[in-house]
Amino acid sequence: MAENTFMGVSREKIPWYPTIDYAKCDFCMECDKFCPHKVFERREGTPGLVVANPTNCVVFCRACSKACGPDAISFPNKTEITALIKRIREEEAAP
Amino acid sequence: MKHALLCCNGMDKALGGLAREVTLRCAEATGSEIICPVLLNNAPARYRQSLDTLPLVVIDGCATRCATKLATQAGARIERKLLVADEVKGAAVAPEKTLSPGPVGLELARQLAEALARELLAVGAEPAAEPATAPGFETPTDFLTVTHDKYIFRIPSAGYLFNENDCWVQVSGTRARVGVSDYVQQKLTDIIYYEPPKVGAVVEQFGEVGAIESTKAVLEVISPVSGVVVAVNPLLADSPGLVNEEPYTGGWIAELEITDLDSDAELLIDGAAYAAIVKKKAAEDSK
Repeated sequence: MAENTFMGVSREKIPWYPTIDYAKCDFCMECDKFCPHKVFERREGTPGLVVANPTNCVVFCRACSKACGPDAISFPNKTEITALIKRIREEEAAP
Repeated sequence: MKHALLCCNGMDKALGGLAREVTLRCAEATGSEIICPVLLNNAPARYRQSLDTLPLVVIDGCATRCATKLATQAGARIERKLLVADEVKGAAVAPEKTLSPGPVGLELARQLAEALARELLAVGAEPAAEPATAPGFETPTDFLTVTHDKYIFRIPSAGYLFNENDCWVQVSGTRARVGVSDYVQQKLTDIIYYEPPKVGAVVEQFGEVGAIESTKAVLEVISPVSGVVVAVNPLLADSPGLVNEEPYTGGWIAELEITDLDSDAELLIDGAAYAAIVKKKAAEDSK
């Protein structure tokens, strides 16, 4: 089993991570300052901030979006992700 | 009832202009005192008496929550918060993006101010209804502990189920009580505000069931179970620190009428399994 898992499912198989809307982002870096998991990375040039480590993101956590003044961060639909996790668990449990 | 209203400065954002309009209109409707954020920052003693004697309402424009941070810096206890950005998301028509609100923005500000004023004027007018809490949630007596550096995290050994998002559920019949774990409350440090979910709200498993806010962060409480919110903890509005003091008992967040526990249980773990998760998280925290 992979080291990084959520409910027994490899984190790589769960597409839960933030998406930055660069039309709204003002590069205040509040999200990067907040996130202890190094999901974001500041870069020289444009864009100055990227989602560099998406699988570091804690599944179902949206705390960075709560710190985002311009509301530039979005996440996938929780219900769909929950259904996906259950489906993967069933498939992996099947003989 | 007269309150103290603290609004963000927000001069450079459209949401700030809306927050200012809401604040001015609400102050006029309720006879409340406006706290100037700039003056509070520069000369907090100016407002010491007001903050000590009047219930404080904080009105933030955007999620940067400057007014909330100012209130926290001033050591003030927040009675009620309004985040205009959230209200805008739920509005039927989007307000203009101009710094000075246009007709749509002014109408939204009027509606928000009226609703807030009604709520503030009702405070103290009628006794609060008794929460529809159900008996049967037993107090845990036996705990597993995870020790990491100077920290000791307690986890009830039985009677509670957890998700990997550090939230617990305790089930009694068709009712479930949810809350956050000792690990997460210690990580957040002092909790200063509790945003309850709406009674009657339908919550999916892993959906948001309220939020708690510390000086460090806002934490969305991620529901371990699906159901309908039937009660919120009435003590947390005045004493959000109960989540720090009694995370598994007095600091519960909400009660739900559960709808599909069998299915939800597939993605829940017991105390022993959660203890292993906490051990791993604590080790990663200190990296």
